[in-house]
Amino acid sequence: MMDHLLECMPQLLRAAGDTVRMMAVSFVLALIIGAVLALMRAARVRAVSSIARFYISVIRGTPVLAQLFFIYFGLAEMGVVMSSYQAAIIGLAANSGAYVAEIYRAGFESTPKGQLEAGGALGLRRFQVVGLIIVPQMATVILPPLANQAIILIKETSVASLIAAPELMLRARDLASEYFMPLELYVVAGIIYFLLAFPLSVLVRVLEARLRVHR
Amino acid sequence: MTVPSGFDLYLYIVRVLITGVETTIAVTLGSLVLSMVVAALFAGCYRFGGQFTRVLVQSYVEFFRAVPVLTQLFVIYFGLATIGIRLDSISAAILGLGINGSAYCTEIFRGGVDAIPHGQTEAAYAVGLSSWQVFRLIILPQAVRLVLPPLTNFTVQLLKNTSVASAVAAPEVMLLAHNLVNETFHSPEIYLCVCLVYLCISLPMMRFASWLEFRLGATGARS
Repeated sequence: MMDHLLECMPQLLRAAGDTVRMMAVSFVLALIIGAVLALMRAARVRAVSSIARFYISVIRGTPVLAQLFFIYFGLAEMGVVMSSYQAAIIGLAANSGAYVAEIYRAGFESTPKGQLEAGGALGLRRFQVVGLIIVPQMATVILPPLANQAIILIKETSVASLIAAPELMLRARDLASEYFMPLELYVVAGIIYFLLAFPLSVLVRVLEARLRVHR
Repeated sequence: MTVPSGFDLYLYIVRVLITGVETTIAVTLGSLVLSMVVAALFAGCYRFGGQFTRVLVQSYVEFFRAVPVLTQLFVIYFGLATIGIRLDSISAAILGLGINGSAYCTEIFRGGVDAIPHGQTEAAYAVGLSSWQVFRLIILPQAVRLVLPPLTNFTVQLLKNTSVASAVAAPEVMLLAHNLVNETFHSPEIYLCVCLVYLCISLPMMRFASWLEFRLGATGARS
């Protein structure tokens, strides 16, 4: 049994690499989507902010699995055909983007309005106030929740195995049926996920501790 | 079987999906209760236990928060079966989601208890209350208020996670949707309806959570 497990390890580790890549790409996309959504939400035009609000509620209120299935199977039926890998990245990014938008918003709201006015009174231009005063403070506030979202994203990539996107969980499933040792393989997969996510959760704690010192 | 078209198609889909709502809610509530019981136990151990217990609880929380629900479900449903522990898909789903959820729930409970200023505990001891009395009379009433909003958000999270149980063939909304897709090939309509069904349950709960947060002024509480 141990031999079989060792035989599987290189394949599992390669698949873990795929998981990390999938997570990294969708995280970067989510950061961008989140920024666009946060800006739309803050827009003065009511229709624009309503669209962003609606999008965020729908995403937060439905399972990521349903979103992935809609994107992969539903859109294919409507003529938009993509690979399971592309669908997974788009789905995960679209999902996380909604949460990231909320994180940005919370960060922006955490800096007192008076600072904008004070900066202006000192003769700074608006972009200077935002760039030199607001964003540095925002960064410390939003970093821990962003790292948290990255952890969530690592775990959510596992769901992409259900649309057969190539990553760790799919490989574990294939190997489990090939060697017929589901218990061992899924436990090993779990441990690999833990090893990927745990450093990030340590990072979250360090960031949060630092943040408390700053306050 | 004839499948209707147009608006009737949506009605037909929703009518099929609704038969899975019962299972979805049963799995959500089952895993919620399991999470809360385990978490109450662990949060208690963390508060009243020694250094060793704390490390154990902390490790449990850290581990299960870092491993995907799907992996845990597969270990419980497919993995345990190979060593003779055969669970039906609904029990496996409740167990998997419950164990996963208990880690988050422990953090929520602990956060709620920690948020009560320590001075209150000292004051209560000073007037002669026992440590159980301090917990029951001083900490618990305040902690419940703090814990309610994140607990509601946590329940929404559980509700959404039940969809993953379709992978172990628990007959909830998502599995019924797959079956329907295989029968009718109307996947865009079906998955839209799936989202609609989940939204009908989750949106009111999310509203309730933010209303609670507003009412209780629990700005420090996070999901």
